[in-house]
Amino acid sequence: MKKIMATFGMAAALMLTGAANAQETVHFWYHFDNPENPMSELVEKFEKANPGIKIDAENVPWNSYYDSLYTNLVGGNAPDAAMVKLFAQPRLVDMEALEPLDDRIAAWAGKDDLIDNILEINAGPDGKQYYLPVQYVVLYLYYRTDLFEQAGLTPPKTCEEFLHAAKTLTIDENGDGTPDIYGFGFRGGRGGHDHWGTFVLGHGAKFEKGGLTTPELIKANQWLVDLFREHKVFPPSAPNDGFQEIIGAFKAGKTAMTIHHIGSANDIAQALGDKVSAVPVPQCGEKPWTLYGDESLAIFSSSKVKDAAWKWISFLAEAENNVLFNQATGQLTVTKSGSENWTLHDKRFVDATVASMPFAALLPQTQETSDFVNTVWPTTMQRALTGRISAERMMQEIEALYAQ
Amino acid sequence: MSNQAIAALDGVRMPSRRRLLPYVLMTPAVLVTLLIVFLPMIEALVTSLYDFVLSRPRATQFVGFDNYVRLMQDEVFWISLGHTAIWIGLTVPLQMALGLVAAILLNRTFFWRGLARALVIIPWALPSVVIALMWRWIYDSNTGVLNDLLLRLSIIQTAVPWLADPDRALYAIVVTLVWQGFPFFMVMILAGLQGIPKSHYEAASIDGASSWKQFIHITLPGLAGVLITAALLRIIWVANSIDVIYVMTGGGPGYATHTLPLYAFVKARQNLDFGYGSAIAVVFTLLLAGVVALYLARTRKEADR
Repeated sequence: MKKIMATFGMAAALMLTGAANAQETVHFWYHFDNPENPMSELVEKFEKANPGIKIDAENVPWNSYYDSLYTNLVGGNAPDAAMVKLFAQPRLVDMEALEPLDDRIAAWAGKDDLIDNILEINAGPDGKQYYLPVQYVVLYLYYRTDLFEQAGLTPPKTCEEFLHAAKTLTIDENGDGTPDIYGFGFRGGRGGHDHWGTFVLGHGAKFEKGGLTTPELIKANQWLVDLFREHKVFPPSAPNDGFQEIIGAFKAGKTAMTIHHIGSANDIAQALGDKVSAVPVPQCGEKPWTLYGDESLAIFSSSKVKDAAWKWISFLAEAENNVLFNQATGQLTVTKSGSENWTLHDKRFVDATVASMPFAALLPQTQETSDFVNTVWPTTMQRALTGRISAERMMQEIEALYAQ
Repeated sequence: MSNQAIAALDGVRMPSRRRLLPYVLMTPAVLVTLLIVFLPMIEALVTSLYDFVLSRPRATQFVGFDNYVRLMQDEVFWISLGHTAIWIGLTVPLQMALGLVAAILLNRTFFWRGLARALVIIPWALPSVVIALMWRWIYDSNTGVLNDLLLRLSIIQTAVPWLADPDRALYAIVVTLVWQGFPFFMVMILAGLQGIPKSHYEAASIDGASSWKQFIHITLPGLAGVLITAALLRIIWVANSIDVIYVMTGGGPGYATHTLPLYAFVKARQNLDFGYGSAIAVVFTLLLAGVVALYLARTRKEADR
């Protein structure tokens, strides 16, 4: 009985102190697909250092992350802070959903530890800083070293070499008429615009009227479609394939090359050992093109606990916390001190990332990019790959979106 | 006031109170229905008259029937409408046929009938998302079990990308939905079968009718009521269901598995174009209204009986 009374007493006392401190709760959204999630560890550490703040971190499934975010923002149910990508920034700024962070960043001790140029890359369309970077990647080409060696090939530096390698490595091992290995694992489903960009956008593309339908670009897109329809160097499931499928096929040895970033490196190296390496993507036009893959943290203007939210997101962008964060996502830290002693990836994948950085590009910072990524690119690409529309029509439809 | 007068007033009041009572009792239900069914419907109707894109809230303006005019000129709308027709036209009859066969089999007596009836219900009891994920892997062209089986049986020579081929994807999903939905018909038909008096069959066999003739002249007419009601219900459900398609292909490749409700969903939720999405939903509701009216007429007839 005494024990129970004591427990009640303690609970009451806790509640009282809680009320006295006016505990604030920060609702935070993030997306990790790695089952080993260190978020609770980070939250615990943060809450210990900031007793007045409670973090309610929710892992939201990636497939509907932005759909849910936009509708919750409009419906008044938004979290206080969230993980966000650059392509969404123009839309979020237009919706007046973001809180400018310039003053807070300027006064923040961790600012100088951020790697060079990364704040500028993440600046908003109106020049203000809404995003606090938390990790980055650059897309590069994965290839099977053993298969390349057997065939006497070197990793492709141009699209001609790429086509030659892809054809050579589309191999029918058991002679049943169906290839058992395909040259390249192409992502035709949502998110595959980063593959497409490498082969097409390097030919002088501009996301504006007349900027996507030049003869060179249409020819380049036709060349890409032909890889699937004529040369048959992609698996037949390519039009629907997403991240799971391209990585799964590459790990299972069903494809000899694919494009992704360092986020999948450990997983792939575990499956293939030293039979896999990475190089920058091949150059297909006047200059190589690859996507800079970003992830930042932002605070929403609707939040009532902005100071607490800032404490939390800046905590995640600080050296050792940021390293722990990236351990879960498998991406690269945005801090200089964290990069110095980087042990989370094999060197060959870090080297490929660093070598790709000089020509890494972003998609246009406009509203239309959300629709391009989510619906226009996947449907037109799938229709072109399956022969429903021409490569030219695909480019026209994308241009029509941006020329509105 | 005299006692008589009070008695007379009471006499008037009583019946009117009694007349009011049913309405009073119904009020909560009607209010809830109005609130959660009709209010959103009216809101959708109003939204469809606006150019309303969630990401550009300040650009919202009244545009009258512009969304509907755009819809009539939208190639994807017509593609989706065609797919919806194929989708309903194949799924419901196939589910019914499979359900009928299963029900007749399970209506016979055999020692593990109870177990068999429980097992057959499983597809109906599983969540749609689980079913969709399961079938996505069954159809997978690299590792899927379907291709593996067909290759081993030498029915096909090369692996078929069931869901990535625009000519096959819709039919592949129809098969999945038939599998998922046939237990519903089976349960309904099984109940219907048990309602047909045994004496009819006895009389028919004394008259020398074959099993086939008994099926055509006793079983089918006996089941007609159940079949029609179940089919009408199922048409409405199948027409509206997008979960399995969305998880299996997301409407792709291209527009190959777009149906109207899915198109409305993609427009509203992914492109945040709620005005246009609502217009699609309104048009589709009008198209379905015919089926709903048939269903309502039937239930009323049954209630009158």
